[in-house]
Parts: sequence; C-alpha cells; structure tokens
Amino acid sequence: WVVLAFCCLGQLCADQSPKPRIAAPQLATNNPTLTTVALEKPFCTFDSSLCPNKSCIIYLYAMKELASAISSQVTDNTSKPLNSTFHQTSGGQLGPYKAALFNVPDCASPPKLTDVGDVNKVSDVLKQYLFRVGDDVNCLYDPNFLGVCNPPLAPDTTYRFKYVLLDSTEGIVKDQTLWSDPIKTRRVKLPLKIDTWPGRRSGDMIVITSILSVLVFLLLAGFLASVSSAVMGSEDSSAETRCVSQMIQSEPRPQLSSE
Amino acid sequence: MAKSDDGIRILQGLLVFGNVVIGMCGIALTAECIFFVSDPHGLYPLLEATENDDIYAAAWIGIFVGFALFALSILGIVGVIKSNRTLLLVYIILMLITYAFEMASCITAATHRDFLTPNLFLKQMLERYQKSEPDNNNDKWMTEGVTKTWDKLMLQNQCCGVRGPSDWQEYMSAFRITHNDADFPWPHNCCVMDARGSPVNLDGCKLGVPGYYNSNGCYDAISGPMNTHAWGVAWFGFAILCWTFCVLLGTMFYWSRTEY
Repeated sequence: WVVLAFCCLGQLCADQSPKPRIAAPQLATNNPTLTTVALEKPFCTFDSSLCPNKSCIIYLYAMKELASAISSQVTDNTSKPLNSTFHQTSGGQLGPYKAALFNVPDCASPPKLTDVGDVNKVSDVLKQYLFRVGDDVNCLYDPNFLGVCNPPLAPDTTYRFKYVLLDSTEGIVKDQTLWSDPIKTRRVKLPLKIDTWPGRRSGDMIVITSILSVLVFLLLAGFLASVSSAVMGSEDSSAETRCVSQMIQSEPRPQLSSE
Repeated sequence: MAKSDDGIRILQGLLVFGNVVIGMCGIALTAECIFFVSDPHGLYPLLEATENDDIYAAAWIGIFVGFALFALSILGIVGVIKSNRTLLLVYIILMLITYAFEMASCITAATHRDFLTPNLFLKQMLERYQKSEPDNNNDKWMTEGVTKTWDKLMLQNQCCGVRGPSDWQEYMSAFRITHNDADFPWPHNCCVMDARGSPVNLDGCKLGVPGYYNSNGCYDAISGPMNTHAWGVAWFGFAILCWTFCVLLGTMFYWSRTEY
C-alpha cells in the first residue's frame, strides 16, 4: 500500500500542474490581451532532484494551435532543445518557437500574492510569479538584439505553451510539461459598429413638450379673444355715442318753442 | 360699482405681484444659464465633437430670455399701475414672443439630453482620442479638445474609458493605431498615479492588477454635470412658463376691461 500511496501522490502531483497555466485572474485581470498572455511560472512542477548542481534553466515555447498539425516537437533526436525563433517559425505558425528563458522558480518559498498591495514589493512579486508572453515590441526589429526575442502575439489567435527543464551545463532536456490548454488572444470590434441611437424619448421631454404646446395654444386663443372683444366693444361704444349725441341735439328745440 | 372697483384693484395687485415674480425668475434664469455656459466641468469639447451641443444653445437662449423677462416685467408693472392700454398691448405682444423663445429653449434642452448616451461618448472617444492624422483644421481642433478633456477627466476622476478600461481592449481605436497593445493596453492616464504624475507601477497597470489601475468608467463623471445642465434649463424654464402663462392671461383680461 506504500507503493499505492506513492502512486496516488505522484498522480496528485502530476495532476496539479502538468501544463502551463494562465496567471491568476484575480491578480491579472487584463489577461489575455490583444497581443500578450501572462502565464504562471512553473512552481513545483519539475522534480528538483533532476538538477543536482542547481544548473537548470527553464525554456518557454509557444506555438499557434494550428501548428500542432505540422510539428509540436521541442527537442531533436539527441534531446537537445529546439532553437527556433519567432521570425523563423512565422510567429509560431510553422512550429514552436522559444519565447523565454529564466531560472527555475523557487518551490520552497513562492511569492505571496497578497504582497501585491505593497507598492515596494509589487514589482518583485509580479516578476517572480508570472511571465508575460508578447511583452517586447522592439526586439524583432532591432538588429543588435542577442537575447531570446518575445514579440507580441497575433490578435484573435489560439496559442499553446510548454515549459521545458534544461540542464545548462550539458545542454540537454531533462523534463517538459504537456502543451497547455488553448489560450486565445482577444479580438477587437470596430467602433463604426457602435449604435448611438438613443432609443425611445424620455418621459421628461414628452411632458414638457406637450404641456408647453397646450399652454401656448391657450395663450394665443386668449389673446385673440381679448383683441376681438376689444374691437367689438369699441364698435358698440361708438354706436352708443351717436345715439346719445342725437338725443342731446333734439332736446333744446322744445324749450325755444315754449318761450 | 364699488365691488367692481375692488375687483379691479385686486386684479391689479395680483398682476403686479405676478410681474415681480417673473422679474426675479428672469434674473435667476440668466444667472443659471450663464453658469452653465461657462462650463465649470470642462465638458464642452466632448459635446462639440459629437456635433450635438444643442443643450448649450438652449442655455444661450435662456440668458437672453431671462433678461427679456426682467425688462418686460418692469414694463408690465408700469402698464398695470397706470392702466395704460398701449403699454399693456406692447407688453402682451413682446411677452408672447419671449414665451415662444423660452419654450424653444426648454424643449431643445429636454430633447437633446436624450441623445447623450454612453455609446455616443464611447464612439467619439475611440475615434478621436489621440487621433494622429486629422483630416482638416476642424477635425484637428475637435481631436485636440477631446484628447485634452479625456486626459483631464481620467486624471481628476480616477476613471478609465466610458464603461471601464475594457473599452480600450474590446474596440479598435485611433489610440490603438499609434500605441501598441503590449505597452499600452489602455492609456497611461488610466493607471493610478503617484504624487509626481507618473504611474505607481506600470507593469501592474498593464496587467490589470487591482489597485494599480482605475477600474471604473468615466460615464458618471460626464453624465452627472450634463444632466444637471439640461434639466436645470428645461425644468426651471418650464416652471417660469407656467407662472407666466397665468400672469399673461390675467393681463389680457385686465387689458380687455380697461378703457382708453
């Protein structure tokens, strides 16, 4: 049962992270972006007993998912790692390319993700915890660049990644993870397609317009009514004054005749 | 006879009171519209670039209407006290014209407020922010206005994009053409800044680590002042017009009852 227990432990360990994983989404919320993918570094993935003199380094290989039909081998016949670059493989289209090279992450004391809140420690924590594929925009066009080039990825494309443990003194591959699950970079929509139609009219506008229209109509009606009543009133009063003046004229005559 | 005399006196008193209120409201309307036109939040360039700045036109009309209401209310008080038919007729006709202008201002402000949706500002931000090759001078002027306004908005309100920083990732933009995604997933003004005006941690900002970038959108900071502006002009004007309606009807009745 000891063997069984070891087997089970081995399974658990193997199941824990046999593939490269995307960085924790609570930490790196903007991931993957249009042209970059941030991956968790391989903590406690490889057996430390494979590297007695601490002379191991880790290579990261990336390739487009459709390249897996062509070739997904990262070693040649003599267990030496593939030295392909981004440019040689057309950005991972013809096969995997080497995207990065770094030291084996410390399994005994991994970085505490809660330290991210501290302004002084955040750079170190990010550097130790994750690696951003596609970070370097200049290396592809710089003729003097000698290191491992990590140019931006293509948008709206699925990529797969693999970590390889390498002994730097002997130059042979000691271990490798499986290819990661497919990770797709973002796609952009055109701003022309944004619909700026405001939709239905708001209640405010309907109330204001309707009530004001009614009030204006009533005002004009009132104005016409008062003007017409004033005009008719002046006609009546001019007819009255004529009648009165006629009566005044006809009165003095009887007085003269009585005398 | 005494009763109708009393009635006329009461009507005169009411009309004078009504005109006093109109005069004061006219001054208040002028002051309010001058405040809005002065653009204390600096959002006018955004509206100018959308070519949808009619709420400012409504405020400009409001300034002149307010002043006209004040002047006409004085004319009205004089006309009512002197019971002069000519003065009152002039007052009624000019008030009707002013009424029409103020009605136009209210309806314009209320209607054009409806056009100011988040999508409108999003589209404009994506098409104009840091646009590198403007087509003509007008385009250049609008682009500079939009860029300066957005930079100031993002810094002062600690916000990013219209709905959030994901606007910059989801859509193609003029900014994206000149700034690559690896270095600028969103503008650096979206990052939390230190006292000297540079990002606290650029890597944290680029990766979207909480606390190092502004995760909320700027739409509230834009729509708040614009709503206040539009509703202030529309509803205050509406209230003045309702009061003026009553005073005008009373004046017309009084005019038709006075003799020359």
